Amino acid sequence: MKRASILLTGATGAVGSDLLRSLVQRDSVRLNVLVRHSDRSPADRIKALLGDTALAASITVLEGDISAGPRLGMHDLAVASLRRETTHIIHCAGSTSFTLDLADARAANVQGSRNVLEFARACPALECGAFLSTVYVSGKRCGDFSEFDFGDAGLGFVNTYEESKAEMEAVIQSAMKELPLILVRLSTLVGDSTTGRVNQFNTVHHAIRLLYSGLAPMIPGDPNEPVDFVSSDFVAAAALHLVEHAPRPGVYHLAAGKESSNTLGDIIDETMAALASFRPQWRKRAVERPLIVDLDTYELFVRSVEETGNPVLRDATRSIRTFAYQLAHPKVFETSQAAATLAWNGIAPQQSLAFYPRVVRYCLESNWGRRAC
Amino acid sequence: MKPSVSAGIHSIAEYLPPHVASVEDLRERGLLRGSPDTLRSFGFNTVHLACDESNIDMALAAADTVLEESGIDRNEIGMILYAAALNSSSTLWDGNGSSRDSVLRFETVPDLFKYPASVLQSELDLTNAAVAGINQVGCASIFAALRMARAMIVAEDDLQSVLCVSADRFPQGRHRDLAYNLVSDGACAAIVRRDSDCNTIVECTQVTKGALWDSEEIENEIIAAYFPTAAALVERTLAKAGLDIDDIALVIPHNVSLRSWEILGRLIKCPADRIYTDNIARVGHTIASDNLLNLRHAVEAGRVKKGDYMLLFTFGYGSNWACMVVQH
Repeated sequence: MKRASILLTGATGAVGSDLLRSLVQRDSVRLNVLVRHSDRSPADRIKALLGDTALAASITVLEGDISAGPRLGMHDLAVASLRRETTHIIHCAGSTSFTLDLADARAANVQGSRNVLEFARACPALECGAFLSTVYVSGKRCGDFSEFDFGDAGLGFVNTYEESKAEMEAVIQSAMKELPLILVRLSTLVGDSTTGRVNQFNTVHHAIRLLYSGLAPMIPGDPNEPVDFVSSDFVAAAALHLVEHAPRPGVYHLAAGKESSNTLGDIIDETMAALASFRPQWRKRAVERPLIVDLDTYELFVRSVEETGNPVLRDATRSIRTFAYQLAHPKVFETSQAAATLAWNGIAPQQSLAFYPRVVRYCLESNWGRRAC
Repeated sequence: MKPSVSAGIHSIAEYLPPHVASVEDLRERGLLRGSPDTLRSFGFNTVHLACDESNIDMALAAADTVLEESGIDRNEIGMILYAAALNSSSTLWDGNGSSRDSVLRFETVPDLFKYPASVLQSELDLTNAAVAGINQVGCASIFAALRMARAMIVAEDDLQSVLCVSADRFPQGRHRDLAYNLVSDGACAAIVRRDSDCNTIVECTQVTKGALWDSEEIENEIIAAYFPTAAALVERTLAKAGLDIDDIALVIPHNVSLRSWEILGRLIKCPADRIYTDNIARVGHTIASDNLLNLRHAVEAGRVKKGDYMLLFTFGYGSNWACMVVQH
């Protein structure tokens, strides 16, 4: 990525933070990071991720907000300069919450991306604009989902995150004829393949905790259907590679795909085994393996829990509900476009079960992010 | 290896106090924590409440009835197994208007040596019967009694019949909705007989999860463990019996929430019309007596014919899951 000037959004998020750590190590990159002011200043937020040394070395932290129009919340001079120099945009910012109402999800994921797209139109040196998306724009489809497929095929979505991302894709796809844009659809990130480290705990990790607590009696799905997990280091390496080599406009799946996925039954068995292995005293609790049930049975259970008004079980079933319905709509993500681009550089997803136990261990040792480790 | 000697549930009788209260009545009397509507949606309607009857009175009534109806010579009863789900049921607690604090209060050291089973033996004139108590298994206590009765008959050549009795009276003034179920007072008695011509006990299983002993502190974990453990135990019991769920003519449940049986029925792949739930609304959950009471009523209603297999299942705090296959 020689003399590249990269604008990175969402640098404090699950994917963005890994990209940030990789990019600051590259001398040939000029990196501009757009960060919102929250309870801490943008610079402080980045320092918290990288430390002072790395920050001084190679990056410019820009205070801004993708929801604040095509200037991304920056003042005029900064916008003009940034537009002139930017050769690559990696747009990671957005909301990954599954529980927002649709209007809020759209504001975060559709309008924010529209603004970044408008910014990209004004970048004369743009070589590649990468918009991160999710393979779950497929919604309630079942079966194969390729990099040439779009949306839910009218079958609906499991949550507003999926729906808003699908709408975002439609916006970006329509601009691909004019601009060098790619959509990078990510599968479910579970953690680092070597250390198990989790940047941002998501519903998968929450499900592991419910299982550990013995509060997940059943999960909807089919034990023999694949579940697609990827490691965060694979995603970071692959996304950077795609951006760096500016492939032709289109969609790229960073997913385990058919070859590297494991079945839901295997994932649950491995979770139980890992919990017992890393916390031997947990065995005494004799937590039964959750049942994998059809959607109607799960719905009946959820309705029953709702009627009891039991707050602990209600929260547990609601949190599973936000993502687990995907498990009842099994699919295989086809990855040929991404694989063809990544293969020559030796970047490929690892078999899920090869690293998943390390993630379970990290969850236990960090007490799901409450304890430094 | 299957035992060459068989034992079966020859006769069953129950005692349900005549006083019946609806969920609305219970609400008015301050005996419900939740709402009548929720309990109705879970399939409950009325329960039986003991008034003057103590647990011993109810046990005697059920046992006397089963002895009378069975036609078995009382001298044939070689053992009484008195099963108590509630700790208070193992005592000679007089529930006739006693304060609820008296349930486990013992006034003197000799009080600690007064047992219901001996009272039964004496009052029922079962002079050849030895006695033993079974407790600490919660609502699964009668299953433990039946299992032990069968094992004793198989092991002891001269033991012909065992009287199993269970009686539980809920403490007065306490909420009757417990873990989303509605508790009734009642008793049941059964005679397990060598080579019985009906209700042969084919298989008995029980799983105990001692980590879940504190029903108050970890109620959520117990509720969450209920379904996966139940489904696994039913599967294991059927496998031990060499049967499939399709071989079961009728499932005889404990009278817990109808909704929970809808769910468990799906999990064990048993259609709703093969689960006998007729008594849930009318009787409620009689602690340990549900399954025997339901077995008797199902047979009387003609829901099973000779040779049919039935699967009995229950759960008891402790936490215990128990299952049994019986051939009518």
